[in-house]
Amino acid sequence: MSAKAGVIQKCLWLVCLVGLFIPHILSLDCNSLDFHLRRLTWQNLRFLNSMSNSFPVECLRESKAFELPKEILSYTQPLKRDIRETFYEISKQAFNIFSRYAFQSIWEEKHLRQIQIGLDQQLQYLEQCLTEEEKENEDMKQMEKDEGKHPGAMVSQLSNLNLKRYFRRIGIFLKDKKFSHCAREIVRLEIIRCFYYFLRFTAPPRRK
Amino acid sequence: MLLSQHASAMRPLNVYLVVYISLVFGTLQALSEDFCIFRMTLRNFRVILSWELRNHSIVPTHYTLWYTIMSKPEDMKVVKDCTEVTGSFCDLTNVWESMPETYVPRVVAFRGNTTLVSCTSRESIFPGINMSLEPPNFEIVGFTDHIKVIVKFPPVIPKILRGEGLHVYLSLVIEEVSGGIIKKHKPKINAKTITGNFTYVIDNLIPNTNHCVSVYFEHSDVGKIIESPTKCTLLKPGQESESSESAKIGGLITMFLILVVFISTIVILQHTGYICLKNKFPKVLNFYNFSAWVFAELPPLEAVALLEVIHVKRKKKVWDYNYDDESDSDNEATPRTNAGGYTMHGLTGRPLCPASGSSSTVEDCCDPDAEETDLPEPEAECESLMAPGPGPWPPECTSEADEGRGTRLEDRFSEEDGSSTEGSGDRIIFNVDLNSVFVRVLDDNSEVPPELSLPEDSTELEDPNETETNLLVASGGGTQPSFPVECLWSEDSPSETSDTSESDVDTRDGYITR
Repeated sequence: MSAKAGVIQKCLWLVCLVGLFIPHILSLDCNSLDFHLRRLTWQNLRFLNSMSNSFPVECLRESKAFELPKEILSYTQPLKRDIRETFYEISKQAFNIFSRYAFQSIWEEKHLRQIQIGLDQQLQYLEQCLTEEEKENEDMKQMEKDEGKHPGAMVSQLSNLNLKRYFRRIGIFLKDKKFSHCAREIVRLEIIRCFYYFLRFTAPPRRK
Repeated sequence: MLLSQHASAMRPLNVYLVVYISLVFGTLQALSEDFCIFRMTLRNFRVILSWELRNHSIVPTHYTLWYTIMSKPEDMKVVKDCTEVTGSFCDLTNVWESMPETYVPRVVAFRGNTTLVSCTSRESIFPGINMSLEPPNFEIVGFTDHIKVIVKFPPVIPKILRGEGLHVYLSLVIEEVSGGIIKKHKPKINAKTITGNFTYVIDNLIPNTNHCVSVYFEHSDVGKIIESPTKCTLLKPGQESESSESAKIGGLITMFLILVVFISTIVILQHTGYICLKNKFPKVLNFYNFSAWVFAELPPLEAVALLEVIHVKRKKKVWDYNYDDESDSDNEATPRTNAGGYTMHGLTGRPLCPASGSSSTVEDCCDPDAEETDLPEPEAECESLMAPGPGPWPPECTSEADEGRGTRLEDRFSEEDGSSTEGSGDRIIFNVDLNSVFVRVLDDNSEVPPELSLPEDSTELEDPNETETNLLVASGGGTQPSFPVECLWSEDSPSETSDTSESDVDTRDGYITR
């Protein structure tokens, strides 16, 4: 009992320390959050890539074009807030998809847990950054919205709508295939592709 | 009974047969569609896909590559440049051009016309994660305190890197190792604008140290790298070069200072007169006249005549203010010297002429067989009487021959002078440069020595108060005096212009002084 109490005390200290730092981490500026977000995205990509040790050739017959929105494919110079919102939407949808996966094996369960944790962290980073920006730009957005001088807002709304449609198609595909192995493999690869496009948005600025 | 027994026996056989066939069929299927080990590599900025059969016992002769992508439901497409290739690799730089795409390759191995195996990748290939980055070729150039690293880039970057942004996918790392310390340099590269070689300078290095450089690509945020060969260089010693330069500069400055001091010393000595005295010689002493060298004129011959001076001692005559006695001044033999340091030699001589009244010349008088015995060297006298120049002696000399049988050249004042004379007893023989001595010519009748005209080269050193009388001068160099060179110079004959017996000193009596 005394040993267990000692272990609990140690864990409490660790939790307290982590708890003290988490708010600090989450309160970081959005620019520094991009660095963490980029690192986290790459980590999730590696998880998704290593999730399957083989890709059945017969699954090629079941592949489907989910039509990722062109706004993401041809991303050039959108507003940072829009792209964060887009990626937040992507992360949330992906998290929902992988939460509904049926665990086929212990190996898949382990990797799914890692993906879910990673995606959850992405969402926390994005929520923190978007909340701060929303508070700062709330007045400006109201003014621009009244004057209609913020076309980017329309674009972001449109891209978010298309993005929701995109993930809805993925959900329907999984349901139709009844979450088969091939369907999950195809969806896994599609999410990897979507995350890689987002990495271009979060690339560090070039040093002169 | 028998049928039932046979039926019961046939059932296990059927089962065994079915199992055997299914196994064989499965094996065949496994052989026809196997898994290959695919590797996607970026080698010298070329996308290279290589494969390896799991069953190494199968040795095909050639291969054919197929592929498809996951984003679109398409059938397998054959790669035209990788059809029936003998090597187990293929260049897909211009085929796989999208980084976020997922590719599924398939290789069919042949032996001749027989298909041995068809294999695909166990894992789908995502270039952003699965492509290995081989290190690029590079060169290094070492200097004193910096190293220039030249990374060889192709003229055109592959589209697979250009499309997505090279900096997104990978970063170039230049690793510098020195003294166990590793420094990483990550220069940013714009894949859309970079062309040709990329040069990077590692500066602020310690001279005369060994530095090793390694260049490789690092996968962004993945950390996967392939080590590159290290190239080392020994930097040039900077201190030595600097010291050599400073030594050269110091040496030059030192030499310059030494030269300046030397020149200034010489100039000072020259101005003070210690060295390089200017010799302002008169023109006559200018022996560096080139024209004179070329057209050198023979110096005028010195008229040297051999004179025999017969020293006659005479007592010093003390004038007692008596004009009656005219003592013989022959006793005077005191040589006189002037303030100029010249020794006065009064020469008295009488021409040696025969008794006959013939107009014989002095030469005849100078017959060595003359009876005159007082002249042991009549020839010398004759020579002295003879002018060095052409022309006979004046005939007056001959008329005087009646008076005497010879002449004597007597130096009254050379009693003690022996510097230029030689002689024994009362005779003094010396060589006289007739151009360098004073001469007074005495007239027989008036006993007034006529004035002589000095030679042209004679200088004026007149000192009438100090010059002595009875200086024999003869013209040399061909000039012939216009006066009768009286052989007799006698101080006994007073001059009209002289008031004292010492009128010989007075140059106004006819002495020509320099």
